[in-house]
Amino acid sequence: MKISGTATLHAPPGQVWMALNDPAVLARTIPGCEDLEATGPDSYRLTITTGVASIQGTYTGEVSLTDQQEPTSSRLAVNLAGAPGTLHATVLALLVPSANGSTEVTYAADAIPDGMIASVGQRLLASTMKQLASDFFASVDDILVAVPERVGADEAPSTGPPPGVRAGGAAGVSSPTSVPMRRASGMTTELPTDDRQPAGRTLARPHTGSFLEGALAGAAATLAGTYMARLLRRRSR
Amino acid sequence: MSSLFGASVQRVEDDRLVRGHGAYLDDLGHDALVAAFVRSPFAHARILDIDVSAALEVDGLVAIYTYEDLPGRIADPLPLLIPHPSLTHGRTPYPLAKDEVNHVGEAVAMVIARDRYLAEDAADRIDVSYEPLPPVVGLDAARAAEHLVHADVPGNRAGNEVQEHGDAAAAVAAAPHVLELDFEIERSASTPLEGRGVLASWDPQAGRMLIWTSTQTSTGVRAAVAAKLGLALADVDVITPDVGGGFGVKIMHPWPEEVLVPWAAQLLGQPVKFTEDRREHFIASAHERAQQHHVRVGFDDEGRILGLDVRFWHDNGAYIPYGLIVPIVTSTQLLGPYKPGAYRVEFDSLYTNTVIVTPYRGAGRPQGAFVMERTMDAIAAELGLDRTVVRERNFIQPGEMPYDQGLIFQDGRPLIYDSGDYPALLAQLKDLIGWDKFADFAEEARSQGRRVGIGLACYVEGTGVGPYEGGHVVVETSGKVKVATGLTTQGQGHHTVLAQVVADELGVRLEDVEVVTGDTRRFGYAVGTFASRTAVMSGSAVALAARKARAKALRVAAEAMEASADDLEIVDGVVRVKGDPAGGIALGTVAVLSNPLRYAFDDAAQAATQFAGGGDLNKPPIAEDDEPGIEGRGYFSPVRSTFAAGMHAAIVETDPDTAEVTILRYCVVHDCGRLINPRIVEGQIHGGVAQGVGGALYERMAYDDEGQLVNASFMDFLMPYVSEVPPHIEIGHLETPSPLNPLGIKGAGEAGVIPGAAVLAAAIEDAEGIPITSMPLSPSDLFALRRTRETES
Repeated sequence: MKISGTATLHAPPGQVWMALNDPAVLARTIPGCEDLEATGPDSYRLTITTGVASIQGTYTGEVSLTDQQEPTSSRLAVNLAGAPGTLHATVLALLVPSANGSTEVTYAADAIPDGMIASVGQRLLASTMKQLASDFFASVDDILVAVPERVGADEAPSTGPPPGVRAGGAAGVSSPTSVPMRRASGMTTELPTDDRQPAGRTLARPHTGSFLEGALAGAAATLAGTYMARLLRRRSR
Repeated sequence: MSSLFGASVQRVEDDRLVRGHGAYLDDLGHDALVAAFVRSPFAHARILDIDVSAALEVDGLVAIYTYEDLPGRIADPLPLLIPHPSLTHGRTPYPLAKDEVNHVGEAVAMVIARDRYLAEDAADRIDVSYEPLPPVVGLDAARAAEHLVHADVPGNRAGNEVQEHGDAAAAVAAAPHVLELDFEIERSASTPLEGRGVLASWDPQAGRMLIWTSTQTSTGVRAAVAAKLGLALADVDVITPDVGGGFGVKIMHPWPEEVLVPWAAQLLGQPVKFTEDRREHFIASAHERAQQHHVRVGFDDEGRILGLDVRFWHDNGAYIPYGLIVPIVTSTQLLGPYKPGAYRVEFDSLYTNTVIVTPYRGAGRPQGAFVMERTMDAIAAELGLDRTVVRERNFIQPGEMPYDQGLIFQDGRPLIYDSGDYPALLAQLKDLIGWDKFADFAEEARSQGRRVGIGLACYVEGTGVGPYEGGHVVVETSGKVKVATGLTTQGQGHHTVLAQVVADELGVRLEDVEVVTGDTRRFGYAVGTFASRTAVMSGSAVALAARKARAKALRVAAEAMEASADDLEIVDGVVRVKGDPAGGIALGTVAVLSNPLRYAFDDAAQAATQFAGGGDLNKPPIAEDDEPGIEGRGYFSPVRSTFAAGMHAAIVETDPDTAEVTILRYCVVHDCGRLINPRIVEGQIHGGVAQGVGGALYERMAYDDEGQLVNASFMDFLMPYVSEVPPHIEIGHLETPSPLNPLGIKGAGEAGVIPGAAVLAAAIEDAEGIPITSMPLSPSDLFALRRTRETES
């Protein structure tokens, strides 16, 4: 089964690369990650729990990174096993610099499911994988944009929400599945109220408030974004 | 010979069913996972993409399948059940649409979830992108073939068939009188109370599949699923639970769901169930009836048909899995009880972007009867003759039986009527409705400002088509008799009539006989329930099986009683010397004696154990050519169909203002050979007449130009209630036994529906003086016909 997609992360490739190689970041951002432990320079043992459809359950396994071309490409080998079945996948990830200091991450995975996972239908499985990938990159992006230095890199920092807003927004959605659904390619430009849009196109709001006000505004924006996303999905049916 | 055959005994099924103890498909499998389907909203479209991502948030979702998931033979198109040399462009659907959808309601994705609510929720969230294509809706569009349903089927023509007996064109050309007539019938559907449904359970340890399905053919589903899943037939069993009506739509198999649900059950290792909802039944099951006909008929001054040339066009819907059966039935059964000098019939079976067409009770005969009977009325009008006189002059006479119509029937065998007395039927009908006295009644009504009319219509129906059915009868040591036959039952009362047959043949009481139908665990060889065939086929088969069991019982009892089997009889379950009610042994004891035992399981069984004495100690306990038990297995395979016949007459009144049609009287005379149970036959006639009334006056499938079925609910699809069906259907029976089966019976299941449109059109025409050439006819339609006449005159 082939799965591919793209994600826009709001940091230059160098920072993205570092984040994607940082076990502390990975442990916080891999959806449902319960445990992640480095077993070598480029390999990890991990335990994740996923709650999607009939492939829900706990999986343990290994991820190893090969063909590392910092900061442009990396190949991942994933081997996971759990009660619902096993999953073997190879993933090629490409990091390409994008506008406004962002990075376009393109990934192409070849996955071989087995057991119950293989019985739920290709589209369900592929959609699940894409959603998990989407959630993962969204969480990584949350961390990247929450780093204070990033704000200074923006061309017009005063028009974007302050760092506290973003941190508050992320904090307001603790579980990965309730992050605004941003699936498929170009996901970050789909939602007009998304708080991770490039600064020039986001909600223009004067930056006046305190951290608390910012956090509330961020949470509200996130909720609004979630609501809008649901609404859009309903309409498209 | 018997006491039960021919008796109106009460149905043995009803006590259980009316108390709510029936078990229909949806009553089973409460713990099963449940399937729901994403169906096409377009009549004709290419599938561009299927996005299931939004469905993932539904808690309880288990799996989503689309065409790409289907393995092996499941990915092939569903079977073309009845191939025919004239079916040159047969197309059948995939279980889930591949690239293209061809009617609204075609299944695109299957969702499996914990319950139906969740499955529907997830199905709602699946986003399918379509590129709409121009739809072909209705016969006019199909014939014009401006657009094609299937790009590789020119002219939308699935098949073309010609049958001819004599030179019809020449006979018409040479005839003193010639009429050219056009007739049309619209779509309707079986619409059983219970829709389709299937439950499957896979046993991974045993490697066996158990399927319950609301079908008219359990053996057909079994064979199809085994083939699709690559399982041995012996590893698949199909059980038909109580079925809430079929009327033909459930003889179609395997439905996509009947393949997909067992496949999913095997894949997921859990039972899976699908129950069709009403809208799905309208848009994803099957319809029938839509045909356009052009008739050229040549006749003499007496009204005798010299040549009949019929060209018609059959709407088979998006696919044609059931083959050309319906138009073949029309083309052959159109002849009814008549013998035209020459006959030619040609039809095209055409694809449209609408629901598939498979036989619905009557199966092409209502259209045929409509065409023939309207033609008869037109001839009578042309010559100024009484309508019954024209018919009489064209009847096949009893002395001409068996009568060869010179055509090939739907079973691939010659169209030879086995028996019948059509003049007697007509005389009986005229007497029943008071045909000759109607003129006075009409005159009186007219003087009161009322409009009344009378009509009649005749039909001949080939019933009991082959290839065969079988039955098994076993006498238990309790004396109870267990009967199994492979075909299924949908509420007709088969358990009652088959028990009547067996009880008589064997000599036991009705309440000691229990019948099982449609369970491949009990009887694996069967064809199915269609074409009014159960009484003829399974009735004969269980009679033959019972005769074998009886002969065995007499032989075993004769040994025990030291009598000759020829001197014994079985009465109320006791084998006794003929005419001697005092002695004898119970049939249950005979069953014990027939099965030599080592181990006794109760007091009665002790008699058959090895130290109980009896038997020749120098012979084996079971002779070389014998078997233990009192059992019989019988198969009945007739050389061809047996032909039932009937005639209906109706008196209607039409409202001068609203054009509403009221049926004042409805009379049926019919001949289904020997009657097993008159009450059940009359019930069949009542139900058939109700469906005939529906087809004539109310039911139509309202497709718009885009192929949307705009009346796909019981709010908008007008099924007649008891208020629309004549309260008293007057019935007369005639019994001309069939020589083709051991019981002399003919089928009765479809009789009531066949001439419904024809007889009501005739009566309305008589009341209004306007030619009625298209059915169904709503009050609005009749009102429009009146307006047209007014503007023309």
